[in-house]
Amino acid sequence: MYGGGNTFEPIKATGLEMEDPAKLAEFEARIERGEKIEPQDWMPNLYRKQLIRMIEQHAHSEIIGALPEGTWITRAPGFRRKLAQMAKVQDEVGHAQLLYSAAETLGKSREDMITDLINGKSKYSNIFNYPAFTWADSTVISWLVDAGAIVNQIANAKGSYGPYCRALDRICAEESFHLKYGHDAVVHLATGTPIQRKMLQEALNRWWTPLMHFFGPPDKMSVHTEILVKWKVKMATNDECRQQFLDMYVPKIWELGLSLPDPKLHKNAETGEWEYTEPDWEEFKRVINGDGPCNAERLAVRRTAEERGAWVRKALLSPKATYVTPLA
Amino acid sequence: MNDVFQSLDPRINRLGVTVEGHLEAKSSLDQFETYEVFFQMKEGKPYEHAGIVHAPNEDMAFLFGKEQFSRRYTCTGMWIVKTHQVITSPITDHEQSAYDLLDHRLAETELNELSHFEVFHLKKRGRQQVHMGRVQAKGYHDAFKQASEHFGTEPALQVWVIRSQDLLFSDEADKDIWFTLPEKKYRDAIAYKSSDKINAYKERTAKQ
Amino acid sequence: MKELAIKELLYKMADDLLILGHRNSEWTGIGPILEEDIAFSSMAQDKVGQSWALYKMLQVLGEQEPDTVAFTRNAPQFHSCKFVELPIGEYDFSLVRHFLFDTADLLRFDLLSRSSYTPLAQLATKIKGELKYHTMHANTWIKQLGSVEDEEAFQRMQYALDVALPFALGIFEEGPYEQSLADEKIFAGEVHLKSLWLEKIQETLSKTRLVLGDVSLISPELGGRYGQHTEFLQPLLDEMTEVFKVDPTAEW
Ligand SMILES: [Fe+2]
Ligand SMILES: [Fe+2]
Repeated sequence: MYGGGNTFEPIKATGLEMEDPAKLAEFEARIERGEKIEPQDWMPNLYRKQLIRMIEQHAHSEIIGALPEGTWITRAPGFRRKLAQMAKVQDEVGHAQLLYSAAETLGKSREDMITDLINGKSKYSNIFNYPAFTWADSTVISWLVDAGAIVNQIANAKGSYGPYCRALDRICAEESFHLKYGHDAVVHLATGTPIQRKMLQEALNRWWTPLMHFFGPPDKMSVHTEILVKWKVKMATNDECRQQFLDMYVPKIWELGLSLPDPKLHKNAETGEWEYTEPDWEEFKRVINGDGPCNAERLAVRRTAEERGAWVRKALLSPKATYVTPLA
Repeated sequence: MNDVFQSLDPRINRLGVTVEGHLEAKSSLDQFETYEVFFQMKEGKPYEHAGIVHAPNEDMAFLFGKEQFSRRYTCTGMWIVKTHQVITSPITDHEQSAYDLLDHRLAETELNELSHFEVFHLKKRGRQQVHMGRVQAKGYHDAFKQASEHFGTEPALQVWVIRSQDLLFSDEADKDIWFTLPEKKYRDAIAYKSSDKINAYKERTAKQ
Repeated sequence: MKELAIKELLYKMADDLLILGHRNSEWTGIGPILEEDIAFSSMAQDKVGQSWALYKMLQVLGEQEPDTVAFTRNAPQFHSCKFVELPIGEYDFSLVRHFLFDTADLLRFDLLSRSSYTPLAQLATKIKGELKYHTMHANTWIKQLGSVEDEEAFQRMQYALDVALPFALGIFEEGPYEQSLADEKIFAGEVHLKSLWLEKIQETLSKTRLVLGDVSLISPELGGRYGQHTEFLQPLLDEMTEVFKVDPTAEW
């Protein structure tokens, strides 16, 4: 899972003048031709730094993203749901593993990434700082948060960095299970008993604002960096992703007779664009900066997991071990 | 005394997660070294690079690789090797073979006797390394030379060479650890079909 | 008589696998390292999947459907041994339990692969590879953590083994139909299984510094097979069925 998350932070597109112009030209030509960059290729520092930041945040979002739905892992109703919920949360852990590995090929160690996550130096998708109060929240996450993530990930899979694209190809294949599973669970609640419908509608109401926040602030408020578009690091704008999400999923929500807590939400027949009430972007900023309902818990859980596993790792570490950067 | 979180997640409540706390920066190798994992999807298909796992040794790497890279679809075999035991050629562009860039790169001591080496090619940027076959050689330098003779006409944007004895091969007799994979339908998108329920719902509400 | 005996066997196996699979799933997302988190989750899924298959077998024999059986009974109606319901504890205990239980499970299904009760024999044959991976995983971990120089880790493992052993012996609590199961060549019996198990775990432990307590001096934690459980099972069930019980007739 991943969102536009952190786009308030401007990047400093400096230092390019220090790069070798011939190598830079070759690098850009390769991307221009639609070829992937591989870890052993020459690449400008800014590209490396931006990719590390982006892939690392994506990885953090997966491992933290395992927690809201993990809330319901021991309570999933019935065998089908129980097995699928376990497999779904497991996949998110697997996605974190794949993405940390992709980021490692760029030279940042997994140890440093985890340290930066837990000590708050590095961000993850805001949406996982919200609580999953009921089983219905969990189904809404599986369906719609993953749907949002897929919009992002499919775009990013067309980016320029080989290891990230390979990880995303695998991730997207697994996400299609998450999406179908989530939808199936939502449909069961929507077409089920009045109690089931009610818990679903309430969950949907709770998650709508975080979902609108998911893709990041509107383009007009965001910082643009042409160079990241040119280098195929940033593949779609926040608004493009949000529009695509609304277009694909609002009709599917409405067809179940469910409502969304935004009276202004509709598709403008002339422009083909969805119109909506801007969500509270101050809240978004507050949560990103640590003041959401679950920020502290999410990080504390990760910290505890790392601490409780420390003796295992310490005991197994061979004195002969040497770390080299993984290859692909 | 440290406050403990009251979580919505009963598992977390049992963990006793404390509110206050700071993680000491992880030391290097806290997450172990890395192993490259190759797997074969079907009998007769070439082994492909799947990715890496962090693991304390190759037996653990095998256990980890199996569930991280072959918990879906089908699998008939897996190979594991320490990352630093993979010797790589430079990477090139489509017009050029990686073998053309080799000559002066590898200058390590040659072994006295012949050993086996597994050869892999990256055939296209963005794809995975694919196993081409095995060569016999006196060392890595020689292995690249042999590989070039055997597989040089195939696309090779980058070549990997691994001494066969450095690889852990899954046991022929253990193939059955993957046998029930196709049964685990609950992990597959196709197992979830809700259109009947949606249509029934629409019909029901249209009548009202 | 024969059918009662089969049902009793199926129930205790299914309940063991469901409860332990459930327990082990608690580690998903909070394990000691990402890769192990994934592997342990897969094995928990396998266990729940195997229990589901056994409950389906019971359904064919006239019992209620699996979801009802698994999600509406209370602790006294569960035939699982006490071992599986204990909390996950720290990773030392979870690993030791995984090793002791899964070794027994592999041997049990191996015996059952030759059972005269065909559905069980077929299931046993089908999941042979799954169980092989589970014990491969367990043995590798036990051999490694049981041989490390790191004193803390070794002490933890030895302590976990000592705590677990009486409960592990409870796996082999004899049921009311041992004789008829053996006579009918359905299952060779708990006594036989236990002796095979002791041999196997001794074999693995002998490659480590870990020491198995003297089994003849330990009184096993019994009662689970007859519905007597520790204080941990009912809360586990309340948690597991919390959503299902909102409306057991609803489709979830
Ligand atoms: Fe994911
Ligand atoms: Fe997902």
